[in-house]
Amino acid sequence: MTRELPEAVAAAQAGDEEAFRFLYRTLQPALLRYLTTLVGADAEDVASETWLQISRDLPTFTGGEFRAWSVTIARNRAMDHLRRQRRRPVVPVPVQALNDLAAETDTADRAGEAIATESALALIRTLPPAEAEAVMLRAVIGLDAETAGRVLGRRAGAVRTAAHRGLRRLAALLERSAPDDAPQVTPPRPRTDRPAPHAPSAEPAEG
Amino acid sequence: MNDDMSSRRPAGPADRAGSDRLLDAARTGTSPQAGADPLTRLLAAAASPAAPGELAGEERALAAFRAARAAPAPVPARRPRRRLRLAAALAGLAATTVAGVAFAAVRLDRSPEPVLPPVPTTTATGPTATGPTGDGPTGAGPSPTGPSPTASGATPSATPSSGSGSAAPPVAGGIAGQCRAYLAKSDRQRAKALTTPGFADLVAAAGGPDRVESYCRAASATPSPTADDGTSPSASPSPSKKQKQKQNEDQDQDEDQD
Repeated sequence: MTRELPEAVAAAQAGDEEAFRFLYRTLQPALLRYLTTLVGADAEDVASETWLQISRDLPTFTGGEFRAWSVTIARNRAMDHLRRQRRRPVVPVPVQALNDLAAETDTADRAGEAIATESALALIRTLPPAEAEAVMLRAVIGLDAETAGRVLGRRAGAVRTAAHRGLRRLAALLERSAPDDAPQVTPPRPRTDRPAPHAPSAEPAEG
Repeated sequence: MNDDMSSRRPAGPADRAGSDRLLDAARTGTSPQAGADPLTRLLAAAASPAAPGELAGEERALAAFRAARAAPAPVPARRPRRRLRLAAALAGLAATTVAGVAFAAVRLDRSPEPVLPPVPTTTATGPTATGPTGDGPTGAGPSPTGPSPTASGATPSATPSSGSGSAAPPVAGGIAGQCRAYLAKSDRQRAKALTTPGFADLVAAAGGPDRVESYCRAASATPSPTADDGTSPSASPSPSKKQKQKQNEDQDQDEDQD
């Protein structure tokens, strides 16, 4: 997937609409989730602005990491948006999201996954912004620490530290809310197979 | 990650390297094993594959792409006189730049279709068919005078036939033409027509094939701007490349007027 990205970028620059569609489908989910942690419910609007600018500025992209380029645009749009609002709303810890993630029940279907994704984003959003961004750029946009640092205008080491702090904070949140004994664990799996609640490290055997 | 489920580690990965491993596992899409700790599952959920709803803006993004690429055709009924030639051109350029910025500030709040490539009113052919390829794919390529590719809208901003100054019409000229063409079809033809590229912009503007009919009826029923995209800039990014060429030969333009 990542390997096809540069080709798609070049084709889109040459006017290939399907290549642009591919770029959209490849990047939009991650961009939208990243924006969700920055601007919450306005993420879709900001994502639209982002794609508008990507469309316009595509000819100026001269190579390099396209993910980083587009997420930088998304970030700038989000910052503009927050500036217009002049505040970052206080984000309360979403109790429901904690419950969903800490003690998962049988929700291996797609609806369950969607809820899990929303819950995860809601929790990440409660982090201090620098930590939330570092976690999202690394885990969801898929940048390494160096590239994420370039997007954020920070050193790679600072990004790693921020991400690490963020993860510890999340872990503490989850731990506090977890039931004490034997949580029913169901990983949010993209592919389907039966959840194996107590199979420590065995590959789930599907049949 | 040893998934020792019963371990109550203080909280999360012990060091930055541990965090890096977790983050890298998430970004490569590695599914957490059964029994993975909640943090691993949280990251996996955050990075899970796309849900359909997340791609809802696809057609809008493609419309923006087309608009940015297209070297827009001249606006159908251009009234403004261009006697002042260069001065007028410059004023227009400044005006649209400002308008563009203002538009950028308010855009997309409600608008279902932010930027529409102007389409010939008379035919159902979309801009993809006529615009970019016909005139050469230079629409967004050789960069215009403006500092950024947004300059595709950086020339005169006269709104089409409605003649109003800055208030945009409810439906852009090209879309209106597509609406007329659409409404003129029989029911059976309509469904088929909406799958053709010529109507892609209309579908995008309406927000989906199933909404085209009500969109067009509403548009044709209301002569004045009542569509909820009151700030729609759709018509303003009109002539750009062509316009620029014509700045050199605007005598031709004068003759075009009458």
